[in-house]
Amino acid sequence: MLLLADHYRTARQSLDRSRLRAFLTMLGVAIGVASITAILALSGGVNKVIGKQVAELGSSIAVVRPSTGQPTLADLSNPSPSNAYSTSPFQERDIESIRNINDTEAVAALMTISGSVRTSFATPPRSTIVATSPEMQDIAGLNISEGQFIDSVTKQNTAVIGTQLSIDLFGTEQSIGQNFLIRGQPFTVIGVLERQNRPINYNNVDFDYAAIISFESGKLFNGGVAQIQQIDAKAKPGTDMSAYGSAIEKAMQKNHDDQKDVDVFTGQEIAKPTSALFKFVSIVMAVIASISLLVGGIGIMNIMLVGVSERTREIGLRKAVGASNATIVSQFLIESLIISFLGGLLGFLGGYFIAFVVSLLIPYDPTFSWMIVGWAFGLSLGVGVLFGLYPAIRAARKDPIESLRRYH
Amino acid sequence: MAKPASSPVIQLTDLKKRFGVGDAEHYALDGVDLTVQKGEFIAIMGPSGCGKTTLLNIIGMLDRATDGEYVLDGRNVEDLRGGKQARIRAEQIGFIFQSFNLIERLNVLENVALPLTYSGLHHMKRIQRASDVLKSFHLQEREYYMPWQLSGGQTQRVAIARALVNDPSIILADEPTGNLDSKSSHIIMEELSEIHKKGNTILMVTHNPNLTTYATRVITMLDGHIDTDTAHPTLPAASSEKRPLGKPKTKRKYTKRKGKK
Repeated sequence: MLLLADHYRTARQSLDRSRLRAFLTMLGVAIGVASITAILALSGGVNKVIGKQVAELGSSIAVVRPSTGQPTLADLSNPSPSNAYSTSPFQERDIESIRNINDTEAVAALMTISGSVRTSFATPPRSTIVATSPEMQDIAGLNISEGQFIDSVTKQNTAVIGTQLSIDLFGTEQSIGQNFLIRGQPFTVIGVLERQNRPINYNNVDFDYAAIISFESGKLFNGGVAQIQQIDAKAKPGTDMSAYGSAIEKAMQKNHDDQKDVDVFTGQEIAKPTSALFKFVSIVMAVIASISLLVGGIGIMNIMLVGVSERTREIGLRKAVGASNATIVSQFLIESLIISFLGGLLGFLGGYFIAFVVSLLIPYDPTFSWMIVGWAFGLSLGVGVLFGLYPAIRAARKDPIESLRRYH
Repeated sequence: MAKPASSPVIQLTDLKKRFGVGDAEHYALDGVDLTVQKGEFIAIMGPSGCGKTTLLNIIGMLDRATDGEYVLDGRNVEDLRGGKQARIRAEQIGFIFQSFNLIERLNVLENVALPLTYSGLHHMKRIQRASDVLKSFHLQEREYYMPWQLSGGQTQRVAIARALVNDPSIILADEPTGNLDSKSSHIIMEELSEIHKKGNTILMVTHNPNLTTYATRVITMLDGHIDTDTAHPTLPAASSEKRPLGKPKTKRKYTKRKGKK
């Protein structure tokens, strides 16, 4: 439309005249959009990393986890630690039930045990104790660099350890036959894993830092009872995964007195962040980001109101020479849209900059997707309209006679 | 005195404008009947507060009458919607203000082209038209000056050019010389009378009886209604009665002539 180009020209002229003011207002929007872009880019990065692993493993994996439920607003102030320490609904017979499903090729339960791993001369700052079954090697795609993985005939008190844990404990990657303590119990290294470099994965275990012990040894730490956090199942090639998933679900429900207390994830669903903490963190960050966007929007409204009152006479004149109310509204709306759009652009670029800087400190890269572009620009334009509308309407409502009489 | 062949440009019937309510109720216009034919140059005189400006505002559709009928070019505009009225302002009415009202950050050419924005003309065409109009005012070498670089008289001539650019059926001038010294005032009046001779209809509010010599018809208003309506005015009787023309303007500096931008 012809008038649109004129509005654009007018808006550019008036923004040009108060460049610093417009720039600072843009900055307000930019900060909000930047934080949203950074959050989306980084959380997209996590999903992508896990998604890639799932794809690499051939999408025949089903993961069974306890239901966490949707995080609610109350979780913000009270991120219920009970979730983390509560007893999981899994029973040991669940493993057998899944194994008995026709399409199952392999199944492994994952039991992480809290406690220290040390030798008499070294206590690694970071380690995870995982009790699982031999099939985990196949399911998680773990390769052995030396020795062997745990199997059904290995003795109790033997462990397979990750490369980094081996270095932290013994100062070398060749640690077969060495002894160390898990919760005070002596264990012997029978195998060392190849370096994985996958700190983020669907098992929520960094295998480079893990000491893997047999399921039976793990139970001993828990007084003989299995404490399963997650069950990974691998289906036979060519299985319909959604049917397989619901078969598992049915088996679980049967075992658990018809309670639906576990979730089954297949395919790309596995990549979805499921930890309550992760959800909690993203919610908090999203809230902070929207607050900054809100502040940016208030900045726009503020500066537009100043602009409207500064230009009262101009508005009066424009009305006198034939501008209708709608024309005045769109003139000022376009001005605020330009501010918010440029702010959005700045914020989008800044957000990716932040995301890349942050990604130097964390083990994954930000992703780019058109969805993020859409969010960044949708939000910034939304803010422009939302906070620009009131000043624009105020401008249009001005009485031309009064406006022209001012500052005589 | 009416030219029978043409229909009137403006026809006002029993026009009333009330301000305030209750005890504060006050009629700025209290039953104005006025017919303006095409090609008339009407000067409206009267003491302050008699309703001259209110009348002009209503004719210019910046304000609405409380009661009565207003027909512009055969169209009853009282019941038109705001957007429609704006369109009529854009196409049929030219305003000249006492305080010029140029937009400070637009140059002369853009200021003159402003009313055309709202009649939907293409940008280049608007600039062309504005340039043509400025040429007829011998202001073409000022096209790229900013308003603050002009003298008061020049500023008002630019404002007149702006009022004319959309080829309006009627030009409304509210004390166009009120802020000008006597020399500039006469230049402006010559300009207006030139426009009038070209066949434009002009309605001018003024305090200055001297200026009525340029008009073809003088209306004096009193307390919201038309007091006298003289078709061919004679010169005001005694020069002692003349109000002094406006003081010379010192505020606006006429410097910075250097080069166009």
